Formats: sequence, structure tokens, C-alpha cells
Amino acid sequence: MSEHRREAAARLSGLTKQWPGFQLGPLDLTLEPGTVLALVGPNGAGKTTTLNCMAGLIVPDDGSAEVFGKPVHPARPEYRREVGYVGEENGFFQGWNGGRNLDYMARMMPGWSDDRASLLTKRLGLALGKPVNKLSRGNKTKLALVAAMAHRPRLLLLDEPTAGLDPVVRAEVLDVLWEIIEDGEHAVLYSTHVLSDINRLADELVFLRDGQLVLRTGRDELSESWRRVSFRLQNEDVELSGVVEHRQVRAEHQVITREAEATLQQLNELGAEAVEVSRMSVDEIAVQILKEGHHVARAKS
Amino acid sequence: MWHALRAELVYFRMWLFGGLGIAGGITVFMHVLKWLFDDGEGVPGFLTSMFLLIAGMVVAFVAQSYRAEERRARLLMAGPLTPRQLAGVLVLLPAALMGLCVLLTAFKIGLEALITGRLDIESVRTTASFAGQFWAYAQLGPLAQEASAAHRQRRSRAVVVGWGVFVGAVLVLAASWLFAGSIHGFLGPMIAAGAAMAVAAALYQGRTDFTR
Repeated sequence: MSEHRREAAARLSGLTKQWPGFQLGPLDLTLEPGTVLALVGPNGAGKTTTLNCMAGLIVPDDGSAEVFGKPVHPARPEYRREVGYVGEENGFFQGWNGGRNLDYMARMMPGWSDDRASLLTKRLGLALGKPVNKLSRGNKTKLALVAAMAHRPRLLLLDEPTAGLDPVVRAEVLDVLWEIIEDGEHAVLYSTHVLSDINRLADELVFLRDGQLVLRTGRDELSESWRRVSFRLQNEDVELSGVVEHRQVRAEHQVITREAEATLQQLNELGAEAVEVSRMSVDEIAVQILKEGHHVARAKS
Repeated sequence: MWHALRAELVYFRMWLFGGLGIAGGITVFMHVLKWLFDDGEGVPGFLTSMFLLIAGMVVAFVAQSYRAEERRARLLMAGPLTPRQLAGVLVLLPAALMGLCVLLTAFKIGLEALITGRLDIESVRTTASFAGQFWAYAQLGPLAQEASAAHRQRRSRAVVVGWGVFVGAVLVLAASWLFAGSIHGFLGPMIAAGAAMAVAAALYQGRTDFTR
């Protein structure tokens, strides 16, 4: 067990995958056990490809992926014991009901626990009697979650698990995920563009844009350093450090800064008046980072 | 692998039973026509055996198409199966479906021989040629699927090998019609089917993308 603790839950080293007109990486990423890492980015940023590479569904062109020290490769399935994956498509027998699909999984998956499957099914309020092709999007996601977690994997890979779900189902799914990761043993890597999920689950955020890692940061660190500041200053050509957005109407300014402390100190030195500072939600910050992706990445490096 | 293959057979059994039901109905109807209107020149005997074989081929195509549409590889890749075992399921499923229908056809011919007290050897040979042809067609589906996947995954050598064997198999099948009714008319298609199976399995193992 102690040996397991020393290993990274997941590690990507120089991982690269090319499609026509798109290149993911090279990506270097480490995920420690007990961490929830959100992959944030617009559509086409490379989130799903990253997760598919980690799940061994896609073989990278270059670089490697490891899960708890085991190499991820389709031909070496040992790593799969540690991985639970929920994607948009999960390959279920569409004409069979949820229960029958779970029975099939139970016979196929080493380490499968019927008790855990029942517990999760009950906790998620999932009805198993309907054929999969008659299930709503939310119930399909729930079924995929049960199938992904009943063999007690230590790494959960979730590709947009809450996309397209109504707020009630989304809250239920997030509750269950929260309960699972609470023990600190599990690592979760999930992709999302539902930014409100970030506040709920993620410890750390990785921003992807055009296949490149723009920024990796802690959620708290992020919310501590970003601020919206309004002030009055006669100087029209003011250049403030850390500012990513600046609006000005005559002497009234409103800026968004990623280095709040430095910006405020500068404003103090410039003699700005009526300075008002407000916190930003993680969602708002994420939008700014993705809007200003390249700029932020350059500035950070 | 056997568990996965068995599950697929169970999953598609309603298609198989449906197909066999329709084919069986047509077969009985053909026999009634033959009995009512046989003027001596007769309905060729192999025609009455054809429909069970066609049912097998159609169900094999349906199964392949559903598996691809339902992205079965994603489910199987969650478990302990290797690509080699998944390739086994890919090529053995149509083989199993066709094999079952060939057995039923053989049973039907045997039963007919028992009832009439006569076995039309020429008709059996022709039926065997058709069985070989249909079996090969059923195996060409997975080969075409894997050659297309190789194209999407930019594996140029695999594309050339896949489509090369596909074209080669089609040529062998076309040439085999010239020998319908002889042993070559059966062996040619079975060699084509075997080659298609082997190459489809090899291409599957070389996949770089198992998301579909």
C-alpha cells in the first residue's frame, strides 16, 4: 500500500498525438493520488484525446502514459484494473437493459464488486430495467459511472461527465463523485466545459487550448491571484502588470488582473482613486484564461 | 475472449432467429412450389438451400454494423482483453454465425435426402460453392472495416495490405464461380475467407485507435 502511495496515479510524459490539422502535446502531466484534476478547454482543445490516451483507447504517436506505474498500452491491459473510464460513448449493448450490461461487465472485469455496483446503482437512483437505447442521457451517464466504478479503480477518467445533464441529475452525479473521492485514495481526471463543476470538484485545473497545455494551477491559487479592479485615474496610457482585460471610459477604468497584488501596488503608486476590488469566481477566471490562453501561457513562462 | 464472443452471439440471436425464420419460411415455400410445379426439368436443388446461407451472411453484416455503431471496442477495452483477443471476436463472430447457418443447411440437405431417399450430389456441391462464397462475403466486411480504420489512422502499409487482400479476395471469389459445383468452387472462397479473417485480425491488432 505504501508503495502505491509513492506512485503517481497517472503520468503523461511528452505525450503527442496528431490528427490532420491538430496536434495534442507534447504533454507532460502528473496526477497524484487523492487529487482531482480538471481538464478545461473549449471544444477541440484535446481534452478527449488526452483522456483516451490515458485510458489506452488511443495509442500516442510519441511519449508515454502510466497509471500507478503501469504502462498504458492496449496490448498490456494490466493498467486497466486501476482505471475507470466514463466517456460520451461507452460501448454498451444498446438492446440490453442496464442490469444485463452490468452482469456482463461483472463477468468480464477482475475485481468487480456486485455489492458496490448495487450500492452505486441505488445511490444514483438508476433504474436498471430499461434497454440502454431507451435511457435518457443522464441515466446513460449514471450507468457508465456504475460500470466504471464497480471494480474499485483508483483512477477515474471522466470525459464531460455532466455535459447535457439537467441541473438535478448533474448535482446527483457530482454528489456521488464527491463521496467517492472524499477518501483521498482515488485520483480523478475529468474534462469539462461546464465551468460551474470546477468549483465543486477540482483541486487543480489544467487549461488546454489547441492541443497545448496553457496553464496548470491550483483552484485556490487561481481564485487568490485573480481580481476585478475598478478605479479612477486621469492617465490615459496606463500600463498595468498582470492585466488581461482593460476597459476604460474617460477616467473610469475596470481591469481584470491575474496578479492582483502587483496591480494594486502599481495603482497605489500611480495615485489611483476610488479603487474597488472584487473577487472573481473560478468560472469567470477560467473564461478569461481560455480567452487569453496564449497570452497567459506566455506571461507565465 | 470466449465470454465476449458468446455474449455477442447471445446479443444477436434474435436477429439470427429472425433471419433463419424468414429463410426457413422461404425454403418451405420453395419446396412447396417444387412439389407442385416440378415438371421434370425442376427447380435446381441448391436454390432451396440458398436462403439459410443468405440469412447467415445478412445477420453477420448486421452484427458487424451494430457492433461498430455501438462502439463495442470501448466496452471491451475496459476489461482485460488484449487487441489480439478483440480481433478474435471481430473475425470469429461472422464465422460463428455463418458456421451455424452452414450446419443448418447441411442438416436440411440431409433431412431432404432422408425423406426423398435420394441425394443430389451436384446440388450439394453447388450449395457448398455458395456457402463458401457467402462465408467469404461475411468475412470481407470486417476486412473492409479494418482497412478503412487503418486509413483513418494513417497506417499506410496497413491500408495497402488491407485493400490489397480485399481486392485479391474478390478476384478469387469471382474466379471461383467458374468452378462452382467442383471442390475448387468451395476451396477458393474458403481460402479467400481465411485470408480476409487473418488480415482483418492482424490489422485490428495494429490499430492505434480503439474508440470506434
